[in-house]
Amino acid sequence: MTETFYEVLRRQGITRRSFLKFCSLTATSLGLGSAAAPRIAHALENKPRTPVLWLHGLECTCCSESFIRSAHPLTKDVVLSMLSLDYDDTLMAAAGHQAEAILDEVKKKYKGNYIVAVEGNPPLNEDGMFCIQGGRPFVEKLRETCADAKAIISWGACASYGCVQAAKPNPTRATPVHKVITDKPIINVPGCPPIAEVMTGVVTYMLTFDRIPELDRQGRPKMFYGQRIHDKCYRRGHFDAGQFAEAWDDEGSRKGYCLYKMGCKGPTTYNACSSMRWNGGVSWPVQSGHGCIGCSEEGFWDKGSFYDRVTDIKAFGVEANADTIGKAAAGTVGAAIAAHAAVTALARARQKAGETEEQKGEK
Amino acid sequence: MAAYETQGFKVDNSGKRVVVDPVCRIEGHMRVEVNLDSNNVIRNAVSTGTMWRGLEVILKGRDPRDAWAFTERICGVCTGTHALTSVRAVEDALKIQIPENANTIRNLMQLNLYVHDHLVHFYHLHALDWVDVVSALKADPKATSTLAQSISNWPLSSPGYFRDIQNRLKKFVESGQLGPFMNGYWGNPAYKLPPEANLMAVAHYLEALDFQKEIVKVHTIFGGKNPHPNWLVGGVPCAINLEGVGAVGAVNMERLNLVKSIIDRCAEFVEQVYIPDLLAIGSFYKGWGYGGGLSSKNMLSYGDIPQKANDYTSGNLLLPRGAIINGKLDEIHPVDLKDPEQVQEFVAHSWYKYPDETKGLHPFDGVTEPNFELGPKTKGSKTRIEELDEGGKYSWIKAPRWRGHAMEVGCLPRMVLGYLQPKQYPEIHGLVEGALKKLDVPVTALFSTLGRTAARGLETAYCVKLQSQQFDKLMANLKAGDLNTANIEKWEPSTWPKEAMGAGFTEAPRGALGHWIRIKDTKIDNYQCVVPTTWNGGPRDHKGQIGAFEAALMDTPVAKADEPLEILRTLHSFDPCLACSTH
Amino acid sequence: MLSQQDMLEAERHGKQVRSIYVYEAPVRLWHWLNALAMVVLAVTGYFIGTPLPTQPGEASANFLMGYIRFAHFAAAYIFAIGLAARIYWAFVGNHHARQIFMLPISNKHWWSEVFFELRWYLFLEKTPKKYVGHNPMAQLMMFFFFSVLAVGMVFTGFAIYSEGAGLGHWSDLAFGWVIPVLGGSMQVHNLHRLGMWIMMTFALVHIYAAIREDIMSRQSLISTMISGWRMFKD
Ligand code: HEM
Ligand code: HEM
Ligand code: NFV
Ligand code: SF4
Ligand code: SF4
Ligand code: F3S
Ligand SMILES: [Mg+2]
Repeated sequence: MTETFYEVLRRQGITRRSFLKFCSLTATSLGLGSAAAPRIAHALENKPRTPVLWLHGLECTCCSESFIRSAHPLTKDVVLSMLSLDYDDTLMAAAGHQAEAILDEVKKKYKGNYIVAVEGNPPLNEDGMFCIQGGRPFVEKLRETCADAKAIISWGACASYGCVQAAKPNPTRATPVHKVITDKPIINVPGCPPIAEVMTGVVTYMLTFDRIPELDRQGRPKMFYGQRIHDKCYRRGHFDAGQFAEAWDDEGSRKGYCLYKMGCKGPTTYNACSSMRWNGGVSWPVQSGHGCIGCSEEGFWDKGSFYDRVTDIKAFGVEANADTIGKAAAGTVGAAIAAHAAVTALARARQKAGETEEQKGEK
Repeated sequence: MAAYETQGFKVDNSGKRVVVDPVCRIEGHMRVEVNLDSNNVIRNAVSTGTMWRGLEVILKGRDPRDAWAFTERICGVCTGTHALTSVRAVEDALKIQIPENANTIRNLMQLNLYVHDHLVHFYHLHALDWVDVVSALKADPKATSTLAQSISNWPLSSPGYFRDIQNRLKKFVESGQLGPFMNGYWGNPAYKLPPEANLMAVAHYLEALDFQKEIVKVHTIFGGKNPHPNWLVGGVPCAINLEGVGAVGAVNMERLNLVKSIIDRCAEFVEQVYIPDLLAIGSFYKGWGYGGGLSSKNMLSYGDIPQKANDYTSGNLLLPRGAIINGKLDEIHPVDLKDPEQVQEFVAHSWYKYPDETKGLHPFDGVTEPNFELGPKTKGSKTRIEELDEGGKYSWIKAPRWRGHAMEVGCLPRMVLGYLQPKQYPEIHGLVEGALKKLDVPVTALFSTLGRTAARGLETAYCVKLQSQQFDKLMANLKAGDLNTANIEKWEPSTWPKEAMGAGFTEAPRGALGHWIRIKDTKIDNYQCVVPTTWNGGPRDHKGQIGAFEAALMDTPVAKADEPLEILRTLHSFDPCLACSTH
Repeated sequence: MLSQQDMLEAERHGKQVRSIYVYEAPVRLWHWLNALAMVVLAVTGYFIGTPLPTQPGEASANFLMGYIRFAHFAAAYIFAIGLAARIYWAFVGNHHARQIFMLPISNKHWWSEVFFELRWYLFLEKTPKKYVGHNPMAQLMMFFFFSVLAVGMVFTGFAIYSEGAGLGHWSDLAFGWVIPVLGGSMQVHNLHRLGMWIMMTFALVHIYAAIREDIMSRQSLISTMISGWRMFKD
């Protein structure tokens, strides 16, 4: 089980020739020149598996659950052969101080060479004691563990954006990882949870190419979060045609029409669901009849009902959607104009009358 | 606190204090502290939920139709069960009747969750309490093969298969990078399996890891994804179209075939791998009868899997409903979620504030106001807790009580309640009796750590049967021409009364789950969840009555005080979910 | 300062010449093109957010949303390019061309005229004043409810346009940053839609005021926007 990287590749049917080719490609793409290729090959053939410390803050563990759903690569191969999952309180055999000792050990032994994967987030209210681990606030454990890490992966909406516990009024002040750890490269992998193969894809990319994937403005890997659900949705033809499900279980629903009017957030959500789909490609939210709820978007819990296309804007102390505000404003102003016009007409008539009187008088 | 008696236990915190924090291989964050007497026997147990997110606070003022998505995120392990409970609560409040198909599809999803959750729990969260991974290196693959073939006709059982697994394991251990197996309690005398059984279990640990991802595809088909499939107030979101234009965009024959094939594979795996493993492992630990806790005294189940839609009375539920108190197994009390005298939550030892903490609150009037304060005898400081003071507040979990009693909830109560009612639940009765016979143990053996673990397996076997039965029911209804999946009469909030209240329940994998909702002016006015692990993992109440985890740890001898294997074993037998418990 | 000068100029001219050239041809052309684009944008935008009832027939035989969105984007380009051209004209055109982009906020007299106009609209003044360009009240309204908002609509509009155009498209490079800054895609859509309502409300007031003043005031308005010449009635 403790194969080196090379062995893993071999077992997946990659020949030695293409392995060496991969090494020289890596060397050139890193700007090292072809002379470095043998060194890379040597490193990959011999280097120990990268330790991953998987921390859990305030969360629901659905990201872990999603991770173990990975079909390619299989989770067991990731965990047993590609990386070394040295700490993960959801899966590890140890407990208590024996578990916590591992963190110190890895920090020392692999300083600057381990990856921290964070599921969930630290609460900052109550001195952090809304999430206590080893008798201490989780946020301290997070800071200490990240201090010597090579890179940090923020799993899911929790770590990336705060997710449900950060929804208003965020009673615990649950805070995304990148707002607490500011001096390390952080990869946001949002979703509630993210797709399994997106998760293992990000990890294996980092291990294979020894670099973090290209990120967009919000720190998300472009390869999986570069497009909206709507851009690749198979119901898009119905959207363009103007064919919508208008009510649950109506004819349009049964015909697989676009779910836009049922509140689908596909047009405003960046994720890979519509192309990669879920659970080995079996389906995804829209395919199973429910609109996308935008679970990979920042603050999607506070954007109004999941069933409204035009959702609420929470500002000015009230919450209302653009149409209710707009219709109210236009209505009020329209009414005011009508009244104003009426008064104007009246005033004018009176004035005219006055003028004619005056004219009469002049005569 | 001096020694005192409660619920038949002598609680004494004078001995050596042992702290386990974090308790791993569970969902969420938990701490446990115990006191050992001079013989290393547990005489005091303190169970602490160490996380709180405030979902009940967050839900206030929101659209009741969205609540399922929020509550679903209470937990990604028992994913979907909170969502189902939530839509039932809203439907109860608004008096919405759901179509027959919606009920059956919900049942299929709920049963599917059971099968997945129980299987993953047994192999990936619980097995290492019984299975010594390192010992598997010493096994003879041939003997392992013989053992495997003697208990099951599962095809992956050749000597070569087990040798491969062993070799992979050997290389893994020799690398020195033990990953998740690092610092385990390998070699602890509490491990009793021979190397061959250990090797077989390791092989099945890996197989189960591969297989579990297949199980959940039933959720994916009906709910679009797993974890966290989609639900709908008034029905299910997936429309059915068997033969019309656009059927490929809905649940159609191909989708149904896929569901059927997954159901069949589940049955196969459970019958040929899970149950034989369970019985094999169980047979080596028969003598270890600890961990019964409250189970022989007070048990509660709300029941679930309504056979007909919209009938939530106990006669219509395929998982039993009822309460047993004071160990009187011949008296099953009816359970009513709306009776203010039955379910109440207390916070005398929980980090919350009530106006009067000697009184419990029924969830319709429940209050969730955090109040983090430590008892005067706490060792350490606010942010460096060394030892908790169970005389004060010590957990983020509330303490629910049924008519004042601390109750155990979960698969054990469900299986016992089924066993006690052979007429209504002949299958459960048969499964339990069969296992008892096979292991040659009395009924009372059920009231133990191992009994809980066995009950979970038996329940899984029952659930794979129910999956098939519910699938057939769905097909029969479709055949009769009924394709409806949603009732939208009350979809628009303008059709709702100004005020409404309702309660929804399920039996979550870990036990009785209830959501209580009050709706005012189309928004959520109050929302309260009382969750299985709230029942089991909750702290003491104002009277000093201990919770189910605490009770189960009492009087257990620990082989090595420094390696809390027995503590983990008993706690894990409940399958604790701390994110659920505190929400 | 300007408007005081304008007023004097207007009073003087009003007595002498009875008419004056105010809006140069590009401004007039732009005004009507822009008005047309906005009507198209508002109508199509409204139906983008809350679409028309479902179309019968095969998806391949329909393209209603597609056409609506196409019209929106075509009008959006006209609107945006027009706005850019109009801003250019503010630099090279006559001083009236600058009015809707600059407020003389440090000019006390100008403010007093804003309040004069307010009183006029509230029927508290009997005789309206004469202006060569915009009356100060209109200028104030146009600055906020047209000029600023129009820029906002272009920014939010092209930001959501970039979502469909894709990462790396010029619209993404130029406006993609707007999305995280304003709080995510959904929020930008909502603000864009809210912008539509605000603009339409402005248009309502604007058109009413234009017609009313044309009738009530001592100068021409609507025809000015057609011919460019401000006519004085007394
Ligand atoms: C006066 C100017 C404009 C008005 C009144 C207007 C109005 C609207 C409205 C009401 C929507 C629907 C919003 C929603 O519900 O999501 C919309 C969508 C949109 N607008 Fe505009 N808009 C204007 C200018 C622009 C400009 C300059 C652009 C630049 C390209 C633009 C691009 C878009 C895009 C891309 C959409 C989204 C289309 C979709 O989601 O399919 N708009 N607009
Ligand atoms: C059919 C309806 C419309 C009429 C009759 C109309 C009329 C006028 C008139 C008379 C003026 C000149 C005001 C003055 O002399 O002080 C004017 C200016 C203006 N109108 Fe309109 N308008 C119409 C529609 C619109 C619309 C829909 C908009 C956009 C919301 C708009 C925007 C403007 C702007 C920005 C100016 C100032 C032009 C400048 O100084 O550059 N108009 N309009
Ligand atoms: N306790 C609990 Fe759950 C379950 N089963 C839910 O209600 O685990 Ni996450
Ligand atoms: S991001 Fe969502 S799915 Fe992941 S742990 Fe948080 S709540 Fe669960
Ligand atoms: S179903 Fe959603 S994502 Fe798909 S086309 Fe319609 S709006 Fe877009
Ligand atoms: S709800 Fe989430 S799972 Fe995908 S389709 Fe939408 S991002
Ligand atoms: Mg609660």
